Amino acid sequence: MGRSRLSLNRGALAITFAFSATATPAFGADPHGEATPSILSGDLGNVIWTLAIFFLLLAVLKRFAWKPILSALQRREDFIRTSLESASKERTEAERLLKEYTERIEKARVEATAIVEEGKRDAEAARRRIHDDARKEAEEMIGRAKREIGIARDDAVHALADRTLDLATLLAGKIMARQLNAEDHRGLLEESIKEMSKVQP
Amino acid sequence: MNILASGSPLEHVVQHPFVQWHVNLPLFGEQTITILSDQIIMQMIAGVLAILVTSYAARRYSAMGAVNERLVPRGIGNFIEVICDYLRKNVAAPALGPYTDAFVPYLWTAFFFILFSNILGLVPSEPFTRYFFFGDSALTHGHGIGGTATGNVFVTGTLAACTLLMIVVNGLRLQGMAFVKHFFQGPFPISVLIAGLEVIGLCAKTFALTMRLFANMVAGHVLLAVLLSFISLSAASLGSAGGFLIALVVVLGSVAINLLELFVAFLQAFIFTFLTAMFIGQAVNIHHDHEHEEAHGEAHAH
Repeated sequence: MGRSRLSLNRGALAITFAFSATATPAFGADPHGEATPSILSGDLGNVIWTLAIFFLLLAVLKRFAWKPILSALQRREDFIRTSLESASKERTEAERLLKEYTERIEKARVEATAIVEEGKRDAEAARRRIHDDARKEAEEMIGRAKREIGIARDDAVHALADRTLDLATLLAGKIMARQLNAEDHRGLLEESIKEMSKVQP
Repeated sequence: MNILASGSPLEHVVQHPFVQWHVNLPLFGEQTITILSDQIIMQMIAGVLAILVTSYAARRYSAMGAVNERLVPRGIGNFIEVICDYLRKNVAAPALGPYTDAFVPYLWTAFFFILFSNILGLVPSEPFTRYFFFGDSALTHGHGIGGTATGNVFVTGTLAACTLLMIVVNGLRLQGMAFVKHFFQGPFPISVLIAGLEVIGLCAKTFALTMRLFANMVAGHVLLAVLLSFISLSAASLGSAGGFLIALVVVLGSVAINLLELFVAFLQAFIFTFLTAMFIGQAVNIHHDHEHEEAHGEAHAH
């Protein structure tokens, strides 16, 4: 590689000399002694100076100008590229999250509806059960009350019958005085009361 | 005024040697080597200006500061950076592909050196420096400092030779034998002929680079000189009134030509850089070209 470059440099030197071989002075003297400028004026000196200035410029600018400018351009390129990439990545991620959360919210809504429905159903069942229990209890209470009332009425009737019997006995005894003895009266009255009880509802 | 005073329109375009050295070289015989001339000094000034301006633009990047702060260009740095970025992305990258960043410093240097040389040629520094500094100077033979360095065919030829060197050296360095092989295309007897043509083509490219820049730089200046010479000619033949009328037209025309020259200064620097990038790209990306052609061939076959 080094050798080929060396030979190429020699080739370049040959090119520059080829130019210099055609070197033309700026002012060629014509037969009258007046200067006639040539448009192709120049010589090897221009070649050497151009090479020197150009390569010096290349070296200096490479070190002091192009290096920072190139790295800045590359940095900015990378910065813009990574920014765009991360922006698009974040956007995709955001869209994914949005979709996920929308799905979650939808799911939660469905679940909530289901829970509410179930609650309603439970509440309805509870209401019905409580209602049924209450009615049953009420009916039982009414029945019990009726039975107690019936017992109380029977007691009252018996008590009234007893009292009436006593009073009638007392009264009949006083009225009839000594015509019948107490036992006869009582037997007669109990028979009458039994007759009365059969007639009563 | 110097243009008006000079006899030939070429007088102000050509180089004016200040110091010359006559030497007898073994292979080339008697040679004159210009040690110092107006164009050489302009070349040096162009180099110094290129260093100052681009280093000033780059200075910001080496300063400490927030990364984002340094990434945002500002002021003259912005202008230089826009040019650099454009040349890198739109000129170098399409031609050089993966080798872009390896060659872009060379391209940037060539561009700015040529640009500054071209633009300095438009600055009328010669009459001013002659009047104020070098009017009776023995060193400069009473000539001022001015002129277009890229209006010298030896300067443009050397720059084109550097491009040729870049093409060949990097073709061999990066592609090795593939670079040599790509000269020999087709079956045996024809391939030798084609290789000959390819070598001629390479030289023609270099020659075209030389002549394009040189001729463009010289032509504008000669045109200006010819235009301005009409003033003194018409004044001599038509009298002062006619001379004044012609002068009005000529001055307006030469202002327009100067503006065109400013555009050409940028354009030619760009074209030189663009073609250099393309030629180097063709030499270092042979493999990709072949694949591309094969892909094309297959596409055609289908």
